[in-house]
Amino acid sequence: MEENALLRFAELDLQIIALSVFGILYAIKAWTMARLPLKWENAPAKGSPAAGVLYSYAATVAPWMMSSATQHWTRWLEFGLYHIGAGLAILATFTLPFAPKMMEPAAVRYFFSFFVGLAFIVGAIRLYRRFSDPTLRVVSTPDDYFSLAAVEVFFFLMIMTLLVRSDGWRIAYFLVTAAFLFYVPFSKISHYVYWFFARVLMGVKYGRRGVMPQVGGQR
Amino acid sequence: MSQETETLKAAREELDRRYNKIVGVASSNLCTHCGWCVDQCHYYLATKDPTITPVAKAERVRRVYKKHHDWMSRVFPSWTGAKELTEQELDDWVEVAYRNCTLCDRCMANCPLAVDTAQILLAARGVLLAAGKAPEMLVQLADAALAREENLDFFREFYLEQLKELEVEVQDRLGSDKARIPVDVEGAKMLYVPLSGAHTITPASTVFNAVGESWTISMFEAANYATYLGDIPKAKRIAERILREAERLRVQEIVITECGHAYHTMRWEAPKWFGGPLPFRVRSILEVLDEYVRTGRLHLNPSANPEPVTLHDSCNLGRKGGLFEEPRRVVRAAVEDFREMTPNRERAFCCGAGSGLVAMPEWEDMRLKAGEPKAEQVRATGARTVIASCDNCRHQLTELSEHYELHTQVIGLSELVVQALVPR
Repeated sequence: MEENALLRFAELDLQIIALSVFGILYAIKAWTMARLPLKWENAPAKGSPAAGVLYSYAATVAPWMMSSATQHWTRWLEFGLYHIGAGLAILATFTLPFAPKMMEPAAVRYFFSFFVGLAFIVGAIRLYRRFSDPTLRVVSTPDDYFSLAAVEVFFFLMIMTLLVRSDGWRIAYFLVTAAFLFYVPFSKISHYVYWFFARVLMGVKYGRRGVMPQVGGQR
Repeated sequence: MSQETETLKAAREELDRRYNKIVGVASSNLCTHCGWCVDQCHYYLATKDPTITPVAKAERVRRVYKKHHDWMSRVFPSWTGAKELTEQELDDWVEVAYRNCTLCDRCMANCPLAVDTAQILLAARGVLLAAGKAPEMLVQLADAALAREENLDFFREFYLEQLKELEVEVQDRLGSDKARIPVDVEGAKMLYVPLSGAHTITPASTVFNAVGESWTISMFEAANYATYLGDIPKAKRIAERILREAERLRVQEIVITECGHAYHTMRWEAPKWFGGPLPFRVRSILEVLDEYVRTGRLHLNPSANPEPVTLHDSCNLGRKGGLFEEPRRVVRAAVEDFREMTPNRERAFCCGAGSGLVAMPEWEDMRLKAGEPKAEQVRATGARTVIASCDNCRHQLTELSEHYELHTQVIGLSELVVQALVPR
């Protein structure tokens, strides 16, 4: 296969196949979770379940709402940078093949590369911490290490694709992206699917009970 | 079939029965092992043991669930650490689920993904119960609550005698021989459900008499230890005793004494078991006292309590129950010098004795160790009195005071109110 044909296959056909598989697997996951039984909170409400759910989602991006973030604001910053980078890297898998003109200006490429670069650095810190921190090491599995390392490769290839702009890097980036799409539903990287459920469950409980949103004075 | 196989079979069946939406989500790949929960747990803060963090505790149970429900774990268990349930694993779970976690919810409230570790460990408790490995003391305490109803005539006579003696104390405190601890009053507005100790009867009775409340005292105690076991059928039966009594007496509301798990159970959990809201309003006495203060029915003299006072937020009343400002308003009205602990409200730390741990003497050392963060919180306030509106917390905080030389007294909110009571 010629390089151009391979590139076309990697960034279009293969992506569509991988995304379809990814979407089907996620739909099965969501459907499986949704049909599990649950006795919802049904005592007379003290607060608002809807407000609780909104607050629950908001707490993820508002470090002052959780003491785990307040106490360790650098860790929260890492969390934010990592997910911004991940979001941009995922976005680029769509914009590069489907909206190539959008990715042409140097400013756009540098913007993506800068934030994904920061995420790459955070990923390296996280990987180091997973090896060195006994509290993380004791719960870490091969999937934990592999997932972190795989995301690092994904970030790195995306940066190289944008900065070097050769077909070789681009093909590698899209091949890894496709492999990633096949792997993610089976790994811990799929946490964000469950995150939507978990935040609703917590928000309904704490909202109804008047625990969230927080009221009263200083903690 | 061998004994081991029968035990495991029962455990596995229970494991499946407990796999609902909350446990399913929490035991999925939701947890990324990020470690944010680690230093949010009083056990880890006290011991620095990496195997007693919320994520490590939940992971013990999660890995067994993953073996049966996670795609990757079914095929490549070693890749995700998934495990089959074994007799040894069950034995280990006893400490993981009962000794090393008080189900306080603090980890979930501070988890960026909202992993409900307490529910995973509560499921593990249910599995242990099915396998016959739950702590015997908790089983006996739950059974004792049911035995009281089955032998009510025997208990009744003894109980009424006790109440008569306590009634005299109430009369002495109020200087009125009209004060009563009424029993079986049909049509009373509220059914007050105490614990077995006089400290949950005398102060509340004094306040009710002082404000002229329409009330009657329950023949049963509010404690429901079956909830700690995750034994829903038994917990339901224990709650039903009180509901039947309330129905028979045609009261408007059930008021639960200063007991964290009893309030949490009756207010928030029981409606789920019974399929809908209960036919009575359920309140904690904290809410009743707050109403008395806010509406001016109760007049308090803060100068009666000049020493610095702090308030402990019980997990069951606060983070799991939503009662934060109610006790604070009462304390502020009753004392001159109120000092908040840091952190407080939904961020408060567990005292270290919740979830039945206080009833198990074999784990006293760990309980006192796990209470260290709370003890240091108390010390930092410089308070001489700690208000604890949960009997388990109260017991623990009293022991912590002695163990860590805090030189504090621990009392309930009702007792504080009685100390500041201004006779009408």
